[in-house]
This record gives sequence, C-alpha cells and structure tokens, in this order.
Amino acid sequence: MKRNIRVVGAIALAAATAMLAAGCSSGGSGGSGDSGGKVSMSLWDNATTGPGAAFWKSAVKDFESTHKNVTIKIQTVQNEDFDGKLQTALNSGDAPDIFMQRGGGKMAAMVDAGQLQDLTNSVDAATKKAVGEGAFKSQSIGGKLYAMPQTVGPEGIYYSKDLFAKAGIDAVPKTIDELNSAVSKLKAIGVAPVAVGAKDAWPAAHWYYNFALRECSKATLDKAASTLKFDNSCWVKAGDDLKKFADTDPFNQGFLTTSAQQGAGSSAGLIATHKAGMELMGSWDPGTIASLTADQKPLPDLGWFPFPAISGGDGEPGAIMGSVGGNSCSAKAPKECAEFLNYLATKKSQEAYYKAFNAIPVNKEAQGLITESYLKDSIVEFNKAPYASQFLDTLYGQNVGNALNVGVVNMLAGKGSPADIIKAVNQAAAKG
Amino acid sequence: MSDSLGAVSKFEQLPEQGSQLAGDDVVRTSSPAGRRPKRRPQRLIADRRKRIEIAVLSGPAIIMFVGFVIFPVVLAAYYGFFRWKGFGPPVDFVGLENYRVILTDPAFHDVLFHNGAIVVLSLVMQGPVAIILALLLNRKFRGRSIVRILIFVPYVISEVIVGTGWSLMLQTSGAVNDLLQSIGLGAFRADWLSNPSIAIWSLMIIISWKYIGFAVILFLAGLQSIPEELFEAASIDGASYWQIQRRITLPLLGPTIRIWAFLSIIGSLQLFDLVYIIWGQYIASTAGVSTMATYMVANGRTSSNYGYGNAVAVVIFFISLIVALIYQRFVLRRDTAGALTERKK
Repeated sequence: MKRNIRVVGAIALAAATAMLAAGCSSGGSGGSGDSGGKVSMSLWDNATTGPGAAFWKSAVKDFESTHKNVTIKIQTVQNEDFDGKLQTALNSGDAPDIFMQRGGGKMAAMVDAGQLQDLTNSVDAATKKAVGEGAFKSQSIGGKLYAMPQTVGPEGIYYSKDLFAKAGIDAVPKTIDELNSAVSKLKAIGVAPVAVGAKDAWPAAHWYYNFALRECSKATLDKAASTLKFDNSCWVKAGDDLKKFADTDPFNQGFLTTSAQQGAGSSAGLIATHKAGMELMGSWDPGTIASLTADQKPLPDLGWFPFPAISGGDGEPGAIMGSVGGNSCSAKAPKECAEFLNYLATKKSQEAYYKAFNAIPVNKEAQGLITESYLKDSIVEFNKAPYASQFLDTLYGQNVGNALNVGVVNMLAGKGSPADIIKAVNQAAAKG
Repeated sequence: MSDSLGAVSKFEQLPEQGSQLAGDDVVRTSSPAGRRPKRRPQRLIADRRKRIEIAVLSGPAIIMFVGFVIFPVVLAAYYGFFRWKGFGPPVDFVGLENYRVILTDPAFHDVLFHNGAIVVLSLVMQGPVAIILALLLNRKFRGRSIVRILIFVPYVISEVIVGTGWSLMLQTSGAVNDLLQSIGLGAFRADWLSNPSIAIWSLMIIISWKYIGFAVILFLAGLQSIPEELFEAASIDGASYWQIQRRITLPLLGPTIRIWAFLSIIGSLQLFDLVYIIWGQYIASTAGVSTMATYMVANGRTSSNYGYGNAVAVVIFFISLIVALIYQRFVLRRDTAGALTERKK
C-alpha cells in the first residue's frame, strides 16, 4: 500500500518535472541544423528605435532572400540591459547565435568560457580585402578572430556648430584651457556647456578614460589589462585632471540622474534639442542624437573634435579612444552565422549601416559615401592617431570596468577623491 | 451500511432525527468488533484515497516550492563559495573568501546603514500617519469610500510606473522644482535625486506615499474587528473620543499593527525595484540610496561576479531570516501563540 502511494507520488513528480523541463527547453534557439535543411538563428542587437532597428530588419530580409533555408529572428535588447541579459543567456546554454560584441575584457571572458566561435577561417576574400587589418586585430585574441568588425568608433566631442557660433567660439578647442573657455562662453548664452548622462555611469567615466589616455602611456594601459593593478601615478593624475575640469561646473543640471540615450531629457537628447553645447561620446552618438531630434532626422549642425590635449602626460598626443564594433557567433551557432557576418561586411550592407546609424562603416569602400563633416573629421583623426585604445571599461572587463565607472561618478558627485577611484577599482578586483 | 441507515432515516420523523444520529454513533463505535475482517481493507482504501488526494493536490505546489525556492537557495549557497564569472560550471573554489570581502566592503556597510534607515524611517513615518488616517476613515462621512480608494490607489500602481513618474517629477529640471519656482519658493529647489544628503529622504517620501495605503487598509480591517459594544460601554461610562481611541482602539489594534510592522520591515529589507527604477543600475550608491538588493545586482549581475553575487544573496537571506526570527520571538509571539508556535504551558 505504502509503495503504491510512493509510486503515485513519484509519477506525479516525474510528470511535473517533465512538464517543467519541456517548458524550459521549448524556448531554445534551435540553432543547430545542417546546411541542406532549414536553419533558424537568433540575433541580438541594441538598436531599439528608428533607422537602426530598420537596418537590422532589412539586413536579415536581404540575407534570407539569398539563403532560402535560413530564417533569422531578431531580438532587440536595450543597450543598458544588453550585457547582463547576454551573460545570462550564454550561461544558460540558450545563447543567441549572432550577437553584438563589445570586445576587450568582456570578449576575453566569453572566449575563456568557450562561448565564441573562432571565425579566423570563415572570413571570405571580399571581406578580407575591404576591411583593414587593424580592425581584425582588435577583434582577435591570441591570433584568432572572435568577432566580425562592423564599425569603427573613434571617440570625441560632438558639438552643436550653431551654439558654438552663437557663443562666439571661433575654433574648436584643442587644449583643455581652450575647452574651459568654451565652457564659460556657452554658460554665458544660457545653455549647458557639456551634457553627460551620469545615471548610466559610463558616459561620465569616458571623461576619465580620455584623461587617462593623455596621462598614461600605452604600455601602462595595456599592462593594467592583464594585471588589473592600477598603481601607476598616472591613474590618479587623470582623476585630478577630471576633478579640476568638473570643478568649473561644466555639466548639465542634474547630470547625475540624466541617462545617456533614453528620451529628450537624456544627454543625447539635450544635444538634439540644442539645450547643451557638446557631449563626449563614441561614434554611435550621431545616430542616437538623430533619433531624438524633433523630426527624427540627423542634427544638421553637428560637429566633432578630438579630445583636447593636456600639458604633460605620458600618453602620445593624438592618441584616440575608440572601439571597433562587431558581432560574434556563439559556439553552437550553425555555419550560416559566419556567412551572415560576411554579408554584414559587404559594401551594400555597410552603406546601409552607415545610413542607418550615421556611424563609420569598417568597409573602406563604403566609407566613400560619407558626407557628414563630423564623420569625415573623426576618420581623419582616427587614421592620424599613433594608436587607438579600447574604452577602459571594455578593456578591463565588466567587473573592474563597472567599479571604475561608478568610482568616477562618485567623485563627480563629491563623494570621493581621485584616489578613491583607484581604491574602488582595486576593491572590485577582489570580488571577481 | 451507511446506505441502509440513510434510507431508514429518510423515513423518520424530524424530531426523532437526533436520536437516530445518536443511534448511528452507537452502531459505528460498536461495529468494528464484529466486522473487523471486512472493515480493514475498507479503511485502508479510504486511507489510500486520502493520501493520493493529498499527494495530487499538494504535489504541484510542493514541486514548485522546492524547484523555485528551496533549490535556488541551495544553489546560491553553493555558488557563493566560488569565484565564478557566470560562464560554465564554477571551478575556482575560494571557500569563505567572498563572505570575507562582503563583510569588510565599505560599500556593503553603507547599504546596511541605508537598509536600517529605511526600516526605521518606514515605521516611524508610515505608522502614526496610517493609524490616524485609519481612525478618520473609520468614522462615517460623505465621500468616505472615495477617500479610502484614493489612499489605496498608489499601492495598486506598479513600482515601475511609480518610480518613473516620481523620477521625472524630481529631476533637477522637473515638475517639483518648476512648481517651487513658480510659487516663489525657488530657494527650496534642490537636486532631489542626486544630492546624497537629500536622496534618501526623497526615497522615503516616495515609499511612504506608495505603501501607506496598504497600512491604512490593514488598520481599517483591524478596526472593523473590534466589537462595537466596547465603544458603547466606554461612552456610557463617559469616556471621550480620544480616551476611547487610546484605551480601547489602539490596544485592540495591536496585533494588526505588529503584523503590519513585520511586513514593513521585511519589505524595507528587500527594497529593490523603486531604487533600481529611479536611480538605475549604477548610481544608487552614489546617491546614498543603495540597498542590499541593489548592491547584490550591481556587484553580482552587472559586474558579472556571479559567485560573489550569490554570496551576497546568502548574506541577505540570513540577515532577513535573523530579523524575522527575532521579531517573531519577541514581538509577534503573543499574537501567534498557539497558532504558529507551541501554546504556552
């Protein structure tokens, strides 16, 4: 009798477990499939609105029309949620087949875990020819390519030419002193000189990165990536530089609770609505700004200049902060994933990418289409630069990168000194 | 057997039913002796059916509970012993290192302080106001039900909407500051959300606004259960309105207040969503409103230190558990004696 009860219980438990298991597995990507049969892949990107979202839709449609057996399902993830969700997906074995790759320490962690496909031998001849060696190098670890480059993103200061003219700023600031005087001139005409979305932490931290790029030598930056020790005095000096700049009160009111990209009140929105004069940002900014203007068209008077020089410092003058943006295939993705990434690097797709995002395509043939002064200026500076460095939070990985970002925000909020940034970073290293 | 008896009883006259039932009882108690061999399987069958019934009815709930509560808690405890980036199975065993880092991290001391402040301030700010509101709303007046509904509305609105709405109003260039400016109180404009010495008070006001309706509803229900006779007797003896409230209502509302305080404490310890919506993923600690839960997310998930994050979860679990047990032992015991705990002998 007792046994019977146990049997019934066991059956009930088994049935429920089976139901649970079935429920869990039905959401799988179904990424496997041989070349002859139907292949379905999932794609994650961060373009939530406007032409950017449209670009991915039409790219997928285009690719599907020449690869009849392939269907690609797009899932858009808001930028701030992207890394966390991707990590969860990768860890649960339910990774998207194709996804945006930020590179640096974040990519290294995925490679260590065996989550990324080695694309070294999947690059086709046309892509190899059109995309520069440097771009491939930036997406490689140990000589193996783990992400297909799509865009190069030199960082710099985007500004409104109209507001600069109105404030009587004749030439773009080349030194910090000139930047300071531009700040006070912009204040005089009643606009916020510099917009920064410190709620997202990284936009404020980018100011620190650029000061660090000027203060620290390339060797110091690279060494920190492997040791995660920030004992060189240049790190604190960069904090001092930023503190001095922040003390001139250059940022928009309430910048600590301003987000970077969401809505008219965000830092990009302040540029789009001419409420702020400039913003330090990566090359995706023109696209973001365009989606936040009243008519959703690119801001006509947008300009760009590189981060100003400082006096002294170990960094080579002209060095530039920036990223190469690309996409990865997860380890389990079918071989069509690499084909799709090759397609994204073609001239046609790259031109569409440029039009949708106002960002610089990595394909040199597609770069010929560029007309905007801010993009042309940034390409010139990028090509002139002695070296380009990844954004530091990407370079140093999510754990240390986040602590660095938050440390910078703390200092800007008056809750810490430049030395505290470094202390917080070292503390974070103990947690991961 | 019961069938035949039932058939008989149907033909009995009503007044005699009582005796019939009594007779039935007698039959039942006396029957096992004579009928043991046949009776046993029957009882076992009933027994078995009962057990199957229990298994089938409670099974899904137990499986859900074990699968989604107990199992994750055990896993969290397991992961907490590893330095783990969240990819693949954890391999880098570090023992209690994560716990050592947590307990010595100044940022964690901050969140403990914030959580403590939120617990105390929630009780102090919401309790008295809610009691007064409940007393008022317990009296009859025109539009009472509308006021009751209005007070309860914020509690029903989702945290995300409350957070988004308040954060838009409290921006430096938001509605609150504009309003202050336009009524000539421009001097009181402030960075409600980003000034570290103000932010926690903004948070407390939002929390009070949101959750006071819940407290009022609880207290109203408690007031309803106080027998009317006590008030009548008191007023006949010449007690004033305030005397009645102080001597009768409040003491009898005690159990409700203590339960509400318990819920409020637990809610304050676990506070996450409002902070996360208003201050985002990164700057809660900067603004001085970070809680244990936002610390866990910021240092676990956002930083992809999953081992560390799990250890933080375990610490939060124990802190909440200890607080809850202490409260049960010293405050709630008199209300739940005999129900949740053993009856005092």
